[in-house]
Amino acid sequence: MPGLVFLCCCSDTDSKTGKPRLQIKDTAIAQAESRANPYSPVDVSPMDMSYYPIDYPKLKMTNSASEPLIARVIYSRPHLQGRGLFHGLLNYGQPWRLGANEATELELFKTVAVQGKKVSEGRYVLYCIPYEDKWTIVFNKNIDTWGLKPDSTKDAYRFDVPVKKTDNRIEFFTMAFEKEKNGASLVMAWDNIEARLPLQF
Amino acid sequence: MQSNVWKSFWRHESKRQKGRIEHFYKELFLRLEISFMKKIYFAILFLFGLMPAGFSQLDSNKLPPVDKSPMDMSYYPADYPVLKISDKASEGPLVRIIYGRPQKNGRLVFGSLVEYGKVWRLGANEATEIEFYKDVTISNKKVKKGRYTLYAIPEPGSWTVIINKDTDTWGAFKYDTKNDILRTSVPVIQVKEPVETLSITFVKTDSGCDLLVAWDNTEILLPVLFK
Repeated sequence: MPGLVFLCCCSDTDSKTGKPRLQIKDTAIAQAESRANPYSPVDVSPMDMSYYPIDYPKLKMTNSASEPLIARVIYSRPHLQGRGLFHGLLNYGQPWRLGANEATELELFKTVAVQGKKVSEGRYVLYCIPYEDKWTIVFNKNIDTWGLKPDSTKDAYRFDVPVKKTDNRIEFFTMAFEKEKNGASLVMAWDNIEARLPLQF
Repeated sequence: MQSNVWKSFWRHESKRQKGRIEHFYKELFLRLEISFMKKIYFAILFLFGLMPAGFSQLDSNKLPPVDKSPMDMSYYPADYPVLKISDKASEGPLVRIIYGRPQKNGRLVFGSLVEYGKVWRLGANEATEIEFYKDVTISNKKVKKGRYTLYAIPEPGSWTVIINKDTDTWGAFKYDTKNDILRTSVPVIQVKEPVETLSITFVKTDSGCDLLVAWDNTEILLPVLFK
């Protein structure tokens, strides 16, 4: 019986979408490569970016972009590696860089509204103060920095967003946009926690 | 041979084998359309202890998976964000590059995986992006501050490096010469120790910095002048 459970858990593609699941070299390889590469070591928490419109670069490549470019987030993806998010990784009430390594960057290519407040186009560092029932998402103007030291004197906006528990556990911290009725949400998901920052445009 | 050389060799070798095994099984599973069959295959793999580590990790099915060629970012001055938080940055950043980092994985890179004479995206996934935070001079041409895409046409002895203004796109599939800002030729430098993962970084020079690209046994330098 445990064998059957195991088998059910390890199909390499998702049965609904047929998309390949996780594809990453394991941490040991990343670490070995980090030591071996004399130019620029490979990060254990790989960097990634998400666009709105979703997959904008691919839409552009296939001439199927129907909306203009709105937003891009660049962040690094730490992984749980057996740890629980609020059991050793993050603490309630303490600022968290919403990523790893370089500070997480949100670029708005047009002015949007968040919770009724106008947020001007431009580049921001995003960080977060997690609580049990909500996350405070902070937009900060001190860009091109490393994530560990957010300079709160350069905070531009702060928004409280609710968090919800999910059924799935997400191994790699994930930021992605999802289309909404009058804009998009920036989804932030890790472990079994999901927070959404709605952008209206 | 020195022992650390052997260690390095075996590290590369085991990585290469792992890459091959993963590739083989990925191909295999793509061909198996019935999910029940997949589970049987997994059972066989599991029994033989061959299941690659990556497959055992699950991620959400609706959120984006982790890229095989991870993205990375380099600044000039080198490690600018770290300099900044340690109060060692005297001025703002000058250049930043964002690129996907494919791996050699036991393959011959130049002349094979990356064909000679064809436009190459100088990375993986999204087109490689270079941003100048102020106007610069490259091969005697002024380049205005801003975001650009970067491509290359590798040849055995030299590369043509291309700066193009069509940003936020994917690969080199939509590359169009009419959006070129400049093209310049730089010589290829052979390196002895092959570089497993594509690496792009900056090296300080007297009048600016060199953009350094290294992968497999090849290295190129593109001089960028801050004037």
